[in-house]
Amino acid sequence: MASRFTFTKGTPQYRNYRIGVWALIIAIFLLIGFAFVDVGSISIGSNKYNLSLIRLNKAIAYGVAILGLQVVIGYTGQIALGQSFFFGMGAYISAWLVADHSWPFLLTLLIVVPSCFLVGMLCGLPALRIKGLYLALLTFGLAALFPTLIKLDSLYDYTGGANGKLTGYKFKAPSWLPLDEIAQGLQTIPLLGSFFGDGPLSSREESRLWKYILFAIVAGICFWLISNLIKSRPGRAMRAIRDNETSAAVSGINLAATKTISFGIASALGGIGGTIYVAEVGIASPDDFSSLVAIYLIVGLVVGGVGTLEGAVIGGLVYALIPDWASSTQSIAFVPERWLQGPTGSLILGILLIVLTLFMPGGIATAINKAKGRFVSIKAANSDKNSESVAQNS
Amino acid sequence: MDLFLQRLFDGLTNGSAYALIAVALVLIFKATTLVNFAQGEQAMLGAFIVLQLWNWGLPMWVAVIVGMLISGIIAAGLERTFIRRFDPADHLPLVIITLGLFLVLNAVAAIVWRYDPLAFPQLFPHGSAITIGNARLSWYSIFAFGSCILVLLLLHVLLNRTKIGLSFRAVSSNLESSRLCGIKVGPTLQFGWALAAAAGTFGASIYAANPVLQIEPSIMLRALIFSITAAALGGLDSLWGALLGGLTIGFIQSVLVQYIPFIPNEMTLTATVVVLLIVLTLRPSGFLGTKTVERV
Amino acid sequence: MTDVLLKAENLTASYGQIEVLHGISFEVYDNEIAVILGANGAGKTTTIRALSGMVETTGTITFKKEDISEFESDAIVRKGVAHVPQGRGTFPELTVEDNLRVGAFIRSDNDVQNDIQNCYDTYPVLFERRTQTAGSLSGGEQQMLAVSRALMSRPELLLLDEPSLGLAPQIVEALFERFLIMNKDHGTTMLIVEQNAQLALGMADRGYVLEAGEIVIEGAAESLINDEAIIRAYLGG
Repeated sequence: MASRFTFTKGTPQYRNYRIGVWALIIAIFLLIGFAFVDVGSISIGSNKYNLSLIRLNKAIAYGVAILGLQVVIGYTGQIALGQSFFFGMGAYISAWLVADHSWPFLLTLLIVVPSCFLVGMLCGLPALRIKGLYLALLTFGLAALFPTLIKLDSLYDYTGGANGKLTGYKFKAPSWLPLDEIAQGLQTIPLLGSFFGDGPLSSREESRLWKYILFAIVAGICFWLISNLIKSRPGRAMRAIRDNETSAAVSGINLAATKTISFGIASALGGIGGTIYVAEVGIASPDDFSSLVAIYLIVGLVVGGVGTLEGAVIGGLVYALIPDWASSTQSIAFVPERWLQGPTGSLILGILLIVLTLFMPGGIATAINKAKGRFVSIKAANSDKNSESVAQNS
Repeated sequence: MDLFLQRLFDGLTNGSAYALIAVALVLIFKATTLVNFAQGEQAMLGAFIVLQLWNWGLPMWVAVIVGMLISGIIAAGLERTFIRRFDPADHLPLVIITLGLFLVLNAVAAIVWRYDPLAFPQLFPHGSAITIGNARLSWYSIFAFGSCILVLLLLHVLLNRTKIGLSFRAVSSNLESSRLCGIKVGPTLQFGWALAAAAGTFGASIYAANPVLQIEPSIMLRALIFSITAAALGGLDSLWGALLGGLTIGFIQSVLVQYIPFIPNEMTLTATVVVLLIVLTLRPSGFLGTKTVERV
Repeated sequence: MTDVLLKAENLTASYGQIEVLHGISFEVYDNEIAVILGANGAGKTTTIRALSGMVETTGTITFKKEDISEFESDAIVRKGVAHVPQGRGTFPELTVEDNLRVGAFIRSDNDVQNDIQNCYDTYPVLFERRTQTAGSLSGGEQQMLAVSRALMSRPELLLLDEPSLGLAPQIVEALFERFLIMNKDHGTTMLIVEQNAQLALGMADRGYVLEAGEIVIEGAAESLINDEAIIRAYLGG
């Protein structure tokens, strides 16, 4: 083996390795939060690139929605393009409950998840009769429909029409959480301390940081649940349908149930993503959920890596950062200004979508996993090949 | 009654344009069972090329024909570069590629021509041709519909009376047997893409030539969903079905939605998507579709 | 006079990782009818598909002394090999007449209409149905159409993949009589893949028996028809 480190599943070394990796990820995650809570940008040349927590929080929202696409497209192999519909649905339900009925934000998930799940299952019903591109057409139609639906006069009282729906909700960090103390502590670190800003956190920064942590916990739970789902019996049924529908059916898998449930789960995740999104931006407006958003989420799925969980994380970051960075790039040598002022982000995402499909069908996640495989290899405890491949995906 | 008639006439106009884009979608679907999500953007780009040629001094109808040729060549290049390498039976990568083309073409048009609406050449005479009571049927509507029929007739002749048309129909019907008859499948499909793009460009030009419209890069975004519904209504693999579907959507838009007062204006898209939903769920072969639909 | 028309040497074929033919060699001579017999899954269809360039192969295939192993399917047809695939392979949405026209796709001479008329003379039922779509024909009619379509390219070698499959015995008999006439009158060379050994050997000049991707018996049809092993395995003796 060319790998430098080899771990066998089930051994204490392997457990330590897993704990170490996760501790590292959480630490980096928190450090990023503290580092960018006030400055929120990187400068390269004369261009400033926004890396504020607002962006990262949006990335979390998109990541959860893309996780839904992973379930339905990546693992079940059904071409469903309408995730922006459920993203918007979740956002509007939350906004409505919070603004008009003063619900606490996270509690709205109790309504968002089941209603998106149900509507998703209903939308999945036609998929039982039709497959392939008919489904793609239908879901694309749903995505196109959403903004119009929201602007309907008869729904104005609930949706706020074209003006959008303000939530008017403030996230306040609980007083027992020593965010401020940690921030000031980090600032005292020699040399690196200056990265973490100056002085105590303002209440705004504190709330931003709290949202960042809160959303990450919600997203983390979603990812954990889905990673378990994939390894479970229904998850194997989904993958069997993706790989060969006929042989899945003859091995006794209930196609109808598996597909509708997969649709339901995907839609519920889309709804959760929408809730996070509107919690971050504070307003649900119809054009934030256009069919373009549906396509961008597909870009995130493909660029991150279809059929991988990490792909959803990477995809969320790609969607949240690339269009924004593209529009904040004011000048690059040898590139005419005109090409930087138009919808450059859309152009780059489109090119990424095509180039990755052609040359790197596994997306960034697969490439990273390959690179990781050079340094670390994980052996299954027994000869069970299946669990090994699962381990590398998780 | 006059109002109804007027709405009927209005529907004719938009319906013709949707029908042409739908025809383009149908051509590609017939050949490969692929729905080209970039079709609307290809048509929009084609219409901009027509505009550019006209601005450079070409007579407007020459500009339209040259524009159709150019967009056909571009489409042939896109097929060769991005589509042919994939297994036609594996839909996911192909759908993703056409979505990618959708984003790229839209962005390129917006970067080159900006978002400001531009005046498109008036392809047809002004004014109303027929007046019945208060309802006016404009020359534009008559010509739009007439040229739509003309294009369909030309396509019909091309597909049914020529050798390349025969090979295109053979490939649509049975890919493997086509190979066994000595047909070069790749170039035949490429021809289908070029034909579709030319038809789409013509459709977008007709659409943009509407005296009440101007051309801008997002002109086809809404039209695409109407055209997709039109194509699905016609059965996705029938050219005349696409015409029928296009007109139906045009009429639904203007008659049903605007004539009945309690249905608000935004309902046009909603009604269309509902139609799409019903057709796909209950009758996937549409009005005139022949192909056995993929059933689970 | 009896030149080798088609020669396969050490031919292997695989679908993905799975090798189906393990290096078989056989020959078809000018003006003869050769048959390949074998049970389901022996690799008969794969053999014939390999000859038409439709599966991944290694080894060499020579047709009229030219190496065609690397040719694409459409180029092989242009060389003079016509293929009637299993399950007829007609164009269901096209009319009967259009099917015949597609069969003549590689030709640019003016005799096409004549040849179509000849097909109609042979099979009057096709003339009756010339404006119907192929998909509306019965199984026997479809097979007539498929064979006629293949002949429209004026092939020197006709590959037939289980022509008797799913057809009533009388229809099969008529079909095979027609093959014999085509062979005797027009000198069309044929390679037929069949499960119905008795019928096929009865009209063939040469036979091969394929078993699990390898040729296990070969020889003149007359000798095969009397071969003990063949009788036991394929003729139900």
